Amino acid sequence: MPMIEEILERIRSGEMKPSEHLEEKIEVLEHREPELNAFITKTVDLAREQAKEIDKIVESGGGEAFYGLIWGIKDNFALKGIRMTCGSKMLEDYIPPYTATPVQKILDNHGVILGKLNMDEFACGSSGETSYFGPTRNARDPEYVPGGSSSGAGAAVAAGIVDLALGSDTGGSIRNPASFNGVVGLKPTYGLVSRYGLADLAMSLDVPGPLAPDAYGIALAMDVLQGFDSKDRVSARRKLPFLESIDSFDPEHVRISVSESLLNGVDPAVRKTTEHVIRFFESKGVEIVDVDLPDIWAAFPTYYLVMYPEFASAMQKFDGIRYGHRVDASTLYETVAQSREEGFGKEIKRRITMGTFISMAKNAEWYKLALRARTTLLHMFENAFKQADIIVSPTVPTLPFKLGERINDPVKMYMADALTVPANLTGIPAISFPAGWKGRLPIGVQLMGPRFTDHILVSAVRFFEKEGKQWSE
Amino acid sequence: MVRIGFEIHVQLKTKSKLFCSCPTNFLEAEPNTNICPVCTAQPGSKPEGINEEVIRKAVMVALALNCKIRDEPLRFLRKHYFYPDLPNNYQRTSEPFAVDGELNGVRIREIHIEEDPGRYELREGIVDYNRSGVPLIEIVTEPDMTTVEEARNFLKHLRAVLDYLDVILYPEIGFRVDANVSIEGGERVEVKNINSIHGVVRALKYEIARHKRMLAMGKKIVRETRHWDEVRGVTVSLREKETAEDYRYMPDPDIPPYHIDPALVKELRAKMPELPHQKRDRLVREYGIDESAAWTFVLDKELGDLFESLAKQFGVKNATSFCLNLRGELNYRDKYLAEIPNRERLTKLAELYFGGKITKPVYVEYLRKILDDPAFVPAEQEQLSDDAIRQIAHEIIKANPQAVADYKSGEKKALNFLVGQIVARTKGRADPKRAIQILREELQRL
Repeated sequence: MPMIEEILERIRSGEMKPSEHLEEKIEVLEHREPELNAFITKTVDLAREQAKEIDKIVESGGGEAFYGLIWGIKDNFALKGIRMTCGSKMLEDYIPPYTATPVQKILDNHGVILGKLNMDEFACGSSGETSYFGPTRNARDPEYVPGGSSSGAGAAVAAGIVDLALGSDTGGSIRNPASFNGVVGLKPTYGLVSRYGLADLAMSLDVPGPLAPDAYGIALAMDVLQGFDSKDRVSARRKLPFLESIDSFDPEHVRISVSESLLNGVDPAVRKTTEHVIRFFESKGVEIVDVDLPDIWAAFPTYYLVMYPEFASAMQKFDGIRYGHRVDASTLYETVAQSREEGFGKEIKRRITMGTFISMAKNAEWYKLALRARTTLLHMFENAFKQADIIVSPTVPTLPFKLGERINDPVKMYMADALTVPANLTGIPAISFPAGWKGRLPIGVQLMGPRFTDHILVSAVRFFEKEGKQWSE
Repeated sequence: MVRIGFEIHVQLKTKSKLFCSCPTNFLEAEPNTNICPVCTAQPGSKPEGINEEVIRKAVMVALALNCKIRDEPLRFLRKHYFYPDLPNNYQRTSEPFAVDGELNGVRIREIHIEEDPGRYELREGIVDYNRSGVPLIEIVTEPDMTTVEEARNFLKHLRAVLDYLDVILYPEIGFRVDANVSIEGGERVEVKNINSIHGVVRALKYEIARHKRMLAMGKKIVRETRHWDEVRGVTVSLREKETAEDYRYMPDPDIPPYHIDPALVKELRAKMPELPHQKRDRLVREYGIDESAAWTFVLDKELGDLFESLAKQFGVKNATSFCLNLRGELNYRDKYLAEIPNRERLTKLAELYFGGKITKPVYVEYLRKILDDPAFVPAEQEQLSDDAIRQIAHEIIKANPQAVADYKSGEKKALNFLVGQIVARTKGRADPKRAIQILREELQRL
């Protein structure tokens, strides 16, 4: 697969027009999509119009950051006039009247949007199987799940249908499919990318971020996506030097930590890949330190105590009255109840039920407890980052699994998120990159760093891409 | 003993809504035109911000009610319930930002900020979201009032304070009261959503009488929420507290806690306009009117202002009598002066009357017309000549032999009756003083 830098260079030098690049991608789309089901809505006509415009601009010596690179957008971001389903029957026909900030930034910077990507319903899932529009398949082996919830994003990038994809990450939804499909995915520091126009899952955890075939693609995307947005109260007044510092990873001045608590019980191949990455960095002169993460076990239960109630609250707005699936019943109460009953899938109802229960007044202590645990985890990571600049772990404890294997076992399914949720609970950046292979199945490794060191994580992945070799078995 | 406490909702006068930049003028705008993705809860929208103007106005109110502004981060909570006028199906409401105030001898427990829902027309099944997100404050008192009279006085004083601060979005509707009332031996009952002070007084009287009747019959008064039916003048049970909903309050993750800057509080304290009690004291001091008249005037901000301007033009005595008359007429109509359009007509009326251009009966008639007919403009009226009055006096004498006889036999009241007849016949165009003079002369001649 040609890397992002090469494609950009070919367009900028005039060797290839953006519209020619698009046609190549449309061919890939026609070839791979029937098998993968990575798209919910294709916007081929729109993309062609866009590419034609950008052709002219590039020809006359202009062009913004993306120069007609092809983007796929997870279908929980609003793009005005194009339906946004969130992978749910509830929003099967919903046309948003506005455009999400990150999507607008992509358009403004000459990213060509080829379509809205499949996802687990309302981003609730780790396998891409809960979508109302059918499961997405793994781009490396269609027998396997692509991971989730940004399932279409992971598969479309890995299959080369799009150059870059916009995903969202609440408990691992970017990193998990990046890992399962063998691409790079960044969950940025909470607030670094505006959430305006991203449908809620759990508001204190949600963050948009890019998936790309390589670290360069992530850096290119992040330079555009990051930045303060007055429409999102939690967005940060910070900008990090992604492309500028992409090649400045200095192994002599970085300490990387390995913690046995993050390797407990993981699949042997996944463990070996992680250790392989650590040995690589060590061989390059990085200081490897042992860091204790004594309270890491609390992340998993805490995640559910935080996510469920926030999700239940966010989902209140879907009542069939202003928009969305509607069943007209004899009473208002029945209209709302039946619209929700028909419009939502099983996992959504499970989470709303759990969230409603946890947030009831009589259980108020639980949510308070979860917020206290979050503070404890934050302190634990702050302490860890006094000793190490980067913490390495597997992205997902297991290899990709087959379709249907876990869909009826929520606890097992939830376990896929065990190593990704700590970064969401603490707001720190985390990146997953392909570091190994077990046969045809990719294995991702995760790097976590202190808040607002996203660019350093990207440069570490870049360093591995250039200097390292992927583990395989 | 009766105990009364209030929760008062005030729609704040700001240009834009609490969490988005849509305009607040929901009464004038076509339905569903002042809306955006935020205030209609489109998937993916977020509250854009906390409108600073809301904070400023809210703090002004809190300071005027002698509250302490809490110097710690203010959290906004989500209060969950399903209703078509509430686009998110939760309402955002802040924790108290001000506590421990006092007005008119009533303690203010706390004040917090909320968003107003849209307007749902139940019968037509139509929702208008123009109001959705309009800023509200809720002022909560302690149950310190023990009579309906105290309750009325408190509300009038509070309303005056809000008018002096000019913070009510629509003065005629932007003041909604929930009244809590209990009497000894019974539980507390909440009467919700009464939209005038007059309505509160009626509802309280009704409730207190109902409670007393219940207890006298040996019945229990249970804790419940009732609705005030303005038209029928009764309260109706909505729900008993035992079955109260669980609103699943939780801090809104989209709104970071907001710290009200102590420097802002200091700035607003320094900018505080003259408040009703200060104006009362000043009117007493500067114009020498008695305290109760002064209080009557200042409780209606516009009336207080009118008094001052009339006193400068026509003297304190004239201004006082004019304003007391006006107050009486407004009370009769349950209105504030601000609700009367084209109020410059009142100054014109005072000019005509105190300039001797119209008679007292005409003045009274005009005053009522000004209040009842927005189009009516008072104008000088042609006065009847002495000859014309004499002509009419003849006719009246002829038509009322009995009254004439009474007068002749020393019954002085009969003269008043005859003058009244002349005034009525001339529709006030005869100056009563001239009419008396001429009538006396004509009666002498008989």
